[in-house]
Amino acid sequence: MRVVLDHITKQFDDVIAVNDFSAVLESGELVCLLGPSGCGKSTILNMLSGILPVTRGTIMFDNDDVTTMPPEKRGIGLVFQNYALYPHMTVMGNICFPLETQRVPKAERIERANEIAKLVHVDMLMNRKPGELSGGQQQRVAIARALVKNPRLLLLDEPLSNLDARLRLEMREEIRRIQQKTGVTTIFVTHDQEEAMSISDRIILMKASLLQQNDIPQNLYNQPVNQFVADFLGNPPINNIPGTLRDGVFTAQDGRAKAIIPEFKGLTSQNPVNLSVRSESFILDENGPIECQVTRVYQMGKEEMAYFNFGGTTFSAYIDAEKNLVVGSTVRLSLKRRGVFVFDRETGERIR
Amino acid sequence: MKQKVTRFLVYLFLIIGGLIMLLPFFWMFSSAFKTTQEINKFPPQWLPSSISLVNFQRAFAMAPFARYFVNSILVMVSSVGITTFTTILAAFAFSKLHFPGRSLIFSMLLALMMIPFEMLIITNYSTVVQLKLWDTIPALILPFTSSIFYTYILKNFFDSISDSLYWSARIDGSSNWRYLWKVMVPIARPSLTTIILLNGLASWNSFMWPMYVIASDKNRTLPWGLQVFTTEAGSYPELLMAASTVVVFPVIILFFFCRKYIVRGVARGGLKG
Amino acid sequence: MKKNTVQERKIENKSFLSKIEPFLYLLPFLIGLVVFTLYPVINVVLISFKEGYSHLSRNFTEWGLGNYETVLADPRFGQAISNTIKYVLLVVPISTCLSIVIANLLNQKLRFSALFQTAYFLPMVTSITAVGLAWKLMYNKNFGIINYLLSFFGVDKIPWLENAQWSIPALVIFGIWNILPFTIILLLSGLQNIDPLYYTAAKVDGSSSLRIFFRITIPLLAPTIFLVCIINTISCFKVFSELYPLFNGKPGPFNNLYTVVYYIRYAMMENRKYGIAAAAAIILFMFIFVFTMVQHFIQNRTRR
Repeated sequence: MRVVLDHITKQFDDVIAVNDFSAVLESGELVCLLGPSGCGKSTILNMLSGILPVTRGTIMFDNDDVTTMPPEKRGIGLVFQNYALYPHMTVMGNICFPLETQRVPKAERIERANEIAKLVHVDMLMNRKPGELSGGQQQRVAIARALVKNPRLLLLDEPLSNLDARLRLEMREEIRRIQQKTGVTTIFVTHDQEEAMSISDRIILMKASLLQQNDIPQNLYNQPVNQFVADFLGNPPINNIPGTLRDGVFTAQDGRAKAIIPEFKGLTSQNPVNLSVRSESFILDENGPIECQVTRVYQMGKEEMAYFNFGGTTFSAYIDAEKNLVVGSTVRLSLKRRGVFVFDRETGERIR
Repeated sequence: MKQKVTRFLVYLFLIIGGLIMLLPFFWMFSSAFKTTQEINKFPPQWLPSSISLVNFQRAFAMAPFARYFVNSILVMVSSVGITTFTTILAAFAFSKLHFPGRSLIFSMLLALMMIPFEMLIITNYSTVVQLKLWDTIPALILPFTSSIFYTYILKNFFDSISDSLYWSARIDGSSNWRYLWKVMVPIARPSLTTIILLNGLASWNSFMWPMYVIASDKNRTLPWGLQVFTTEAGSYPELLMAASTVVVFPVIILFFFCRKYIVRGVARGGLKG
Repeated sequence: MKKNTVQERKIENKSFLSKIEPFLYLLPFLIGLVVFTLYPVINVVLISFKEGYSHLSRNFTEWGLGNYETVLADPRFGQAISNTIKYVLLVVPISTCLSIVIANLLNQKLRFSALFQTAYFLPMVTSITAVGLAWKLMYNKNFGIINYLLSFFGVDKIPWLENAQWSIPALVIFGIWNILPFTIILLLSGLQNIDPLYYTAAKVDGSSSLRIFFRITIPLLAPTIFLVCIINTISCFKVFSELYPLFNGKPGPFNNLYTVVYYIRYAMMENRKYGIAAAAAIILFMFIFVFTMVQHFIQNRTRR
């Protein structure tokens, strides 16, 4: 099902939680709503499910305007962060609950519950109660309960944040598998960029009630529209070197360290800028434009994570371990084509 | 060594104290089986020389205790049933449903909670008379159909159940009514048990209100019937003790099995009346 | 920005029924509440100001403070107040002190703790008027077990229930026995809320157990002790059911033990003067109100 959010605004008494948000979700997509806590991503989810009313704007599911439709009529499945399983019912009882309300005959209920349980691999746990299940199993049951009524849209609210690191990896693969198998349009809310990068078809990144970028994961990483997007994605975080840019000459904040970067030729900014470079985008190069001191080196197998000082700013870079960097020495670096950006420090907008 | 002595003294103190606490019960039960001669002896006789139910038979013959017993059960069951029902509905509305003035109404209820029942008797007595319910069993039930205290306890418990459960059920198409009975009530079973036990005990032991509104023998409940019985059996304390045993013994049995629920409820906010 | 009222695109509640749904849930509760609590509260206040009120015709001569004047001038009410206060002043401190000790002992790791708990908590659940009859038997001057036990300590036979002097101690002892379980339970739950780390720390410091009791337990338990005192004071103000079985339904052997609640009953049932009864009930409520307010005030202060 195609979902259209058209100029959605949500205002609570004093705060605007979501400001003029528009996005389209194509049928069968898995889209991540990504952002730091309090950015409004959960509010969007709650508006999609009908838990919260919309202040302004419209929500369309295919050709239906569902903006003011009560939650039970929207045909959605929702998985909460705490799973919200009914503690006094068995797994079977939990999965059957939505079908009971739809007055599906008992035999069909059990058949459909078993079918979906098999899909999410909880078919051997049907007679257990939620309290007897591990976190990952509870998660699977919650997904089964959301999917059993064949929803048009599956909403997952921070589904992995209550799991430990190992289970988190496993479950995100599982969610991807189940989503692809059922083909249901899915929205996945998370604050974890790695999670979002690894499973989604598309990421919608939000910050402080505003949409920042809506794109495929690679583009968010390689073509961030602003400083915030660049900062939010990537591990290790992107290096930001503050300074000024005059006709392709980057001057660090101390006013002394300079780098003439050929790719920036002709580029000038009135405002101070950040030269933002991903750690993997530096190359050790005798003729490179950036002259800097090696401050620390960590062995990481084939590569080294090295820290450099340029004009008072420290940044990190992956360097081939064979180069044998010496702490305290001065080296020269050049920049790759990919993963190098210039942002306006006042507006955060991307200059290059 | 010193520790052992203190330990011993602690146990000694607790045992003596415990015996004093239990003495009235022991004396009641033991006297219920004594003969008139045995009960009027000095020094008193600790145990009856033989166990016979003759005192119970005589007491039940002199006053309609079987009737009192049935009345007490009837009042307790219907009162607890109705009160639990109104409490569940109201606690759910105050906890999970949204309506204008919700918190205002609730804080007004909390303020009403400190009104002693003694203050309400005057009007409730007139109301009961006006409704032509004076000296009837419903007069013992109707004034206690709504309890702010139990609603307050249950609302607090409902508040602790995550809203995500509510929204999950709503999204799955469940009505509020179905959600309440299928999800909330089963989860709240421990709290409900406490409420039902406290309410049942209060009803079973209730004395003052029946004294005001029940005049005829056929409508009396046990505690009030027992006090009326004292005027007839005043010179036969063994019969009084047999009758008292009938009032007290079921509760003691109940307490053996449900001590934890009752104690928890009491610790959370006290007993009423 | 103007006033922060947000115009929402509300979720449709299709039916009228679902709009009034919350009130349907509240209705059964509110009916009982309005008829048997709210209306009586208002009504009793009104009656207390109606002079010459007749409960049959519901007529009255005029509004005024006449009922209060009559009540306050009635020596029987003065007696009731003084008896009630005496009862409170004896029962509350003694039962609290006893309970602090017992609760502390019960809070240790004990064998048979379930048995001890049952013994100490039982009076809480049993009918006070039924057990009162057993106490009456135990208080008997000639054959009573209490006088018999006291005779081992060389005490002569005490006319507990026959003598005006002794009737107060008789009532107070029964009252303490009756209120003890509730007091112990509240104090016990207060004790269980004290972080055991305090005790560990004190033991490491080498403090004696007596010192720990007075320097750690009592101060940390103080809010609970206070709460218990207030609740018990309020419930002792309403003393009635304790009195009834001991003296065959009379307030004391020579009608000398009138309490406030007995006075209300007397005014209502024997004299049929509802206005007087209402005024006495309001005065009782005033006492309770003051203590409740003190409780709230102190609780709010300690919470900060």
